[in-house]
Amino acid sequence: MSASTPPRSSWAADLALGARMSVGGGRSGWARLALIAIGVGVGVAMLLIVASLPSVVDARTERTDARSIGSGVVEEQGDNTLLTQIVRSGFRDLGVEGRLLQAEGVRVPLPPGVDRALAPGEIVLSPALQRLMDSPDGEAIRGRWGDTVVGTIGPEGLAGPGELTFYLGTDDLDEETATRINAFGNPDEQGGGLGPELLLLGLVGLAVMIVPLASFIATAVRFGGEARDRRLAALRLVGADVGTTRRIAAGETLVGAAAGIAVGGLLLLVAQHVLPPLVPPALTFYPEDLRPAPVLAALVVIGVPVASVLVTLSAMRRVVVEPLGVVRRSEVTRRRLWWRILLPVAGAALLHPLIGGMDDDSSGDQAMVTAGVVLLLVGVALLLPWAVDAVVGRLGRGGVAWELAVRRLQLESGAAVRAITAIVVSVAGLIAIQGTFGAIQAEAEGDGELQGSVFQAKVIDTRSGAVGQEWVDGLTGTPGVRDVVTSTFTLAHVETDPDQLIGVEVGPCSVLTHETGITDCAEGDVIVVATEGAELPTPGTTYVLGEPGSGGGTWELPGDARSATLGEFHLYLSGLPSTIYVTPTALGGADVAEGYESVLVALDPDVPDAVDRLRTTAADVEMLAYVADAEQGSLTGVLGTARQALLAGTIALLVVVGASLLVNVAEQLRERRRPFAVLLAFGTRRRTLGLSVLWQVAIPVAVGITLAIVTGTALSVVLQGGLSAPIGIDWWAIGLISGGAALVVLLVTAASLPLLAGLTRSQGLQSE
Amino acid sequence: MTTSPPAASASTHPAPADPGTTPGGALLAAHDLHLAFGPTTALASASLEVHPGEVLALMGPSGSGKSTLLHCLAGILRPDSGRVTYGGRDLTAMSDVERSALRRSEFGFVFQFGQLVPELTCAENVALPLRLAGVGRRDALGTAREWLTRLEVPDVADKRPGQTSGGQGQRVAVARALVTRPRVVFADEPTGALDSLNGERVMQMFVAAARDTGAAVVLVTHEARVAAYSDREAVVRDGRVREQVRA
Repeated sequence: MSASTPPRSSWAADLALGARMSVGGGRSGWARLALIAIGVGVGVAMLLIVASLPSVVDARTERTDARSIGSGVVEEQGDNTLLTQIVRSGFRDLGVEGRLLQAEGVRVPLPPGVDRALAPGEIVLSPALQRLMDSPDGEAIRGRWGDTVVGTIGPEGLAGPGELTFYLGTDDLDEETATRINAFGNPDEQGGGLGPELLLLGLVGLAVMIVPLASFIATAVRFGGEARDRRLAALRLVGADVGTTRRIAAGETLVGAAAGIAVGGLLLLVAQHVLPPLVPPALTFYPEDLRPAPVLAALVVIGVPVASVLVTLSAMRRVVVEPLGVVRRSEVTRRRLWWRILLPVAGAALLHPLIGGMDDDSSGDQAMVTAGVVLLLVGVALLLPWAVDAVVGRLGRGGVAWELAVRRLQLESGAAVRAITAIVVSVAGLIAIQGTFGAIQAEAEGDGELQGSVFQAKVIDTRSGAVGQEWVDGLTGTPGVRDVVTSTFTLAHVETDPDQLIGVEVGPCSVLTHETGITDCAEGDVIVVATEGAELPTPGTTYVLGEPGSGGGTWELPGDARSATLGEFHLYLSGLPSTIYVTPTALGGADVAEGYESVLVALDPDVPDAVDRLRTTAADVEMLAYVADAEQGSLTGVLGTARQALLAGTIALLVVVGASLLVNVAEQLRERRRPFAVLLAFGTRRRTLGLSVLWQVAIPVAVGITLAIVTGTALSVVLQGGLSAPIGIDWWAIGLISGGAALVVLLVTAASLPLLAGLTRSQGLQSE
Repeated sequence: MTTSPPAASASTHPAPADPGTTPGGALLAAHDLHLAFGPTTALASASLEVHPGEVLALMGPSGSGKSTLLHCLAGILRPDSGRVTYGGRDLTAMSDVERSALRRSEFGFVFQFGQLVPELTCAENVALPLRLAGVGRRDALGTAREWLTRLEVPDVADKRPGQTSGGQGQRVAVARALVTRPRVVFADEPTGALDSLNGERVMQMFVAAARDTGAAVVLVTHEARVAAYSDREAVVRDGRVREQVRA
């Protein structure tokens, strides 16, 4: 024998041979490649969508900056100035925000997307608002800002196609209540930014999205692993050494990954046109905004094939591919807990900054916590195989379908576990983030003043000196409005000390009981409330009503004034340490100068869209009045947007993991054609096989969801503590997400049954 | 660089270097091999020599250890004790890379079910050992087609193994085993899955082609009519080579 090693194929030739084998094999080979391409493609599409988020945010910000007014504000009226004011309104649970424009000259600036100046009463609508008004549902909003629609706003003036906005020409503004500008656009305007709570939740949300996707892609590239191992054994027989077989396997994987990237790119193109109409108005964007940031796209395009090859090579470490066949090392190795627990323990340790609450501006802590969440979620993926093994090892006897499933899982649960890893990690992450978000939201609005009140809506009139009767007259008779009461709020100060400010609200008993929560009230009563720790006003103190210097009358706090405790919500609204609630009789005719009107409205629950009809009537009385309602937590603002983003993310993730599971189950069925053929050959009913498929999916899913609930809830509690939110378990969210996941499993199993039927047709069995 | 079938005039594949023989003239030799699979003893002091160019049939009942002996001779299995020498070198002491190189260049294999790669066409299967040895795709495929013609199955060149009959598939496997002009071809029940007519035809072609290339053949069979193609028969019983008969 020669001393030198005979020539050997090059790396490129090995990779090319692997690539050739991945597209060979006729229908079966193409089916395998298609499953890999779809599996990887869905994951890649989601990653590309995540990689597009910066572009979406930038494009939206660019357009909204272009219509903002910050840099165009001027003091002096001119030929090129206009007065403007924002109008906030809503429709059902959607926010509507428009802008009043009042030209002061003939060369006034035009907002982006508007091609001419608007005369008083003329309105231009966003296309989405136009569609809403034209729809049968839009009856309650139609005409709210007049009927003279003179056009629609162009795309350059909108955050996205779903935005509900308008520009309305007016002549009612004055420089006291409006802003004077000579230009639109504010290139330097910085958005309000996300608070530390939402920033942390956003980072955790991204982690929750990306960890399952990584697991999803890693699973997809291992499709057809058993057939591949057999192929590699044949190659070993004709002289391929271990290194060559690995390179050939890598070549096969690369083709699958490349096909997945191509499919992912196509899905992104589809998503560009399918997603914009589906996202909530607060997140609306144009199709062209959804383009991956080049660096992130490059990371995906390079990272996915590299990661795929690493996953394949890692999977091959579990098997010894010999010329006579494949020896699985994993079959004889029990799954150990000790090393699987290390990652979640490390993750939990990284969450320690959350103990006792986090600093608002500690980016280092946020990075550590995000890393901790990622490790904890990856740890769930590592713990899952052990947990499934531990459970199925203890499962007992049952029907044929049950035993077929249990025995299969006891023999080899790896494929079944891989199929559900993404869904389990998703559920754990979603429970954590939903639970935390729910706590923050409850803190922010759970104490809302309209919750459980006899009044379901409140009209806030920001004009000082407004007349309450105007509102009573204007709103009474509106369909769905049962009762209208008004109150007047004003500042007051101690006569002898103008710096000692206090709030005074004057209104009938129905308002006082609503505002203070007291149960008994009679005309002539006075109720004093103070924040915790603040000193109660002393009876007998004389106050001057109205802003200091406004010339209001004086009034003495009577000795029989009662005290009450108010929720934080009310005190937040007034912004004062204490407020005196007074019935008109108790005021004794003292003059309340320059007070602000609040209008409480009782609505008829049987009248559809009653609050929107109220909004439309209120706009007729005062365009700038804001109508808040009990059902509406936050029509606009970061919290509402984040809530909608979370909902969209949850749905998207469940759809993706559902697709992942379906592809996985299809692959498992394909790999098990031969055992199915044997079972059917001696008379096993197809129904029994179908049930066994269901158990094979459902048992690991049940174990996984339990693990996810425990991990997700624990993580949620820790996050709540770190964000100083009230600690609680959101059973509703847990039920919803777990139920959603269970539903996905059922649907996937149902969807896989036709494939099972196809595989077990007589022609198929003959070939096996 | 490719190798042509023996009927062709030019050989473009480098002939493997002469590995030499032992003092007794053996190209391949097993010395006192022992191998057990758990409690089951497969080989118990098995010894055997294979000479250059000879066709040796290993016979014996099922479970006698003949296939295990063949796998040890080919370097696929390592014995628990004993040595296998090829051209004087200890096969059992070689690394995986060295043994893979041997299988690639100096050994060929024909098994009962062909062990063809289902994803590749028959021509690509035959060309596979050449490509693994670094021969370019075009040359390797050209040589593979010549071999398929030599074995009278040119029509299956562009078909996948699943689209051929059992006899055609085994002839493709024979072509693949011989395409690198190996010194030794190991055949484990090469006609076991074929009917007698097809089996005869495959054996005729296999042995003729092997003799043309000068390759030694180690043939595991339990069929006397297959063993009849050999120069020598060795009978394996209870993991030991009991009799060696000159055919």
